[in-house]
Amino acid sequence: MNTLEQLNELFIDIFDDDDIVLSRETTAADVGAWDSVMNVRIFLELESEFKVRFTAGEVANLKNVGELVDFIEARR
Amino acid sequence: MDSRTLFRTCRRHRKAGRPEEARGLLREALRRHQLDAHELERAGRFLHGCQTVEPLPHVRFLGQCTTEWLAMSLNAVSLARGLPMATSWGEYDSVVPEALALVESAQPVDTVVLLPWLRDLLSRDGRSVQQQVADTLEHWRGVWEVLARRPGLRIIQVGLDAMELGPAGVHAGASQGALAVAREASRALQEHLPEGAYFVDLERVAGDVGRRHFYDQRQYRWAKQPFSAEGLQCLAEHIHAGARAQHTGPRKVLVLDLDDTLWGGVVGEEGPLGVRLGEDPEGEAYRGFQAWCKALSKRGILLAVASKNNEADAREPFERNPSMVLTLDDIAAFEAHWQPKALSMERIARALNLGLDSLVFMDDNPAEREQVRQALPMVEVVETPEDPAEYISAIEAGLYFEAVSLTDADRVRAGQYKAEARRQEAKASFAGLDAYWRSLEMRGQVRRVDEGDLPRVVQLVGKTNQFNLTTRRHTGAQVAAWAADPEALCLSLRVRDRFGDHGLVSVMLAVPDESPGTLRIDTWLMSCRVIARTVEQFFFAALVQRARSQGSTRLVGEYIPSAKNSQVADLYERLGFQPLPESDANIDRWELMLNQAEPPKHYVEEG
Repeated sequence: MNTLEQLNELFIDIFDDDDIVLSRETTAADVGAWDSVMNVRIFLELESEFKVRFTAGEVANLKNVGELVDFIEARR
Repeated sequence: MDSRTLFRTCRRHRKAGRPEEARGLLREALRRHQLDAHELERAGRFLHGCQTVEPLPHVRFLGQCTTEWLAMSLNAVSLARGLPMATSWGEYDSVVPEALALVESAQPVDTVVLLPWLRDLLSRDGRSVQQQVADTLEHWRGVWEVLARRPGLRIIQVGLDAMELGPAGVHAGASQGALAVAREASRALQEHLPEGAYFVDLERVAGDVGRRHFYDQRQYRWAKQPFSAEGLQCLAEHIHAGARAQHTGPRKVLVLDLDDTLWGGVVGEEGPLGVRLGEDPEGEAYRGFQAWCKALSKRGILLAVASKNNEADAREPFERNPSMVLTLDDIAAFEAHWQPKALSMERIARALNLGLDSLVFMDDNPAEREQVRQALPMVEVVETPEDPAEYISAIEAGLYFEAVSLTDADRVRAGQYKAEARRQEAKASFAGLDAYWRSLEMRGQVRRVDEGDLPRVVQLVGKTNQFNLTTRRHTGAQVAAWAADPEALCLSLRVRDRFGDHGLVSVMLAVPDESPGTLRIDTWLMSCRVIARTVEQFFFAALVQRARSQGSTRLVGEYIPSAKNSQVADLYERLGFQPLPESDANIDRWELMLNQAEPPKHYVEEG
């Protein structure tokens, strides 16, 4: 499973929604329930899943799923 | 099943219209500690969107920080701990407007959790520490007053703690330090807490996890949510213990196995002096646990024994082994035989006149635990660790015995129940009940509820289940208001007998009804310690006499069926009341014309 597929699995669990399909271009605006609280949850769950750490600035500035994938792969 | 598969399966159940199956799967996983703190919060979110067959008690969070995640954690924790609750939360840092909206709304909320956050308290704006503490107290008192406008609403007030200790370092607990300010504010809140409210000491809770792991500074910056996943779980557990104490009352009995639970080894084989209780690490662990149990019993929680042993063998270490900390006097009920432990639980509950849901059972043997768990799901079973050195921390983490307040009554209760067990033995040897009742030499004192009685009265209103005609959990403010009404008859009853003083055991709140000359018995409850001894007949006769002398002509009685109060379903009928036509499925109404009332027979003397 590549990082994007892994992310997809995790998003299904976090959003409690089996129908989520992520691409590199997906942004928060494309996923209905992705608000600011959800954003924080996503980062916390990513940290425990991928054993990485995000800073407050990164949480605010990552623009889409593609950037997230690159970030995780660079840190791993 | 790994957790990803678990959540997938749960979603499938929900989609197929089987939410109860999903809830059951999650409950088992949570009970077996198979989910980490993150997954627990995720389970809470899943439960939030999961319909239940019966409506659950509803807890609403109002906080000066983000409370959504704490609410989710409570969804999961409450399911795991056998008293599931539904949750909602108010907007971040809008406690007062949210409280005002809540008392105006018809939203079915039972309990409000108030969560202060230290930020306002520590703002350096020239106010003295004393002034800041006074301002904090005034703010929360205002909130309590607003919430008191909605009768029956219960309050769980969280205290204050310092997430950051500030420049004082090791002196943070001294004079102007962050911890000292938080402690002072907490103490002020706790001292002025409204009657019946439950206080969660945040510094103590943080200590369970350790401050460094309890808080998460990053989450606080990101979402104004100050707790780590582990911290959320622990705080939710404490909040749930409080909600349970308010809702059903605390557990009242710790039932202990003997061999390898109170001492090392098997007494039937090693003899009363051969069991391991000596000056070695294992013996010290058992004696330490016994000392912990003894202190618990001094606080008013009863100890009982359920052991598979010959009775004489089981008693011998208590009588002959000088290393024993517990004595037979500490044990309120003793069940030693070879029958199943579930039967012992039932016999213990009967001997002490308590419900099975008052029991907590501790046994080193997993098979015995499983048998009790399956036969009697209402009995709380401690997941006992293998090493006796860890018994105390396991049982403390369960928060089984948390009470709204520790009154003096709780502390003397342990003695009263033991006398009750002896009384039950005496009862067996009497020819007829009349002779037994007469032999008890019961004396009763009926008084109007006054300020001194109020804490105990409110406590009884908050926790009595079995002999409780309406199970209305009135707040202290409501009871105080009725007690001050000269037309109402708010009465308390104290009972003592040959074996001991029972203290304040029964409460009757009879309030003026719309129809003239009528008193409606809104609340009538009695502690199960004095059930089946004609005490209720005595109390009722006192009500009739007082109602007549204040000019009332008619009494209306109400009975609201609950899961636990079937024993009083026919009480009004037995007292000579006639059914009223306006009864419905949820509430039976009865009336009694006072000129026709005949005094019921009883065996209690006035005085």
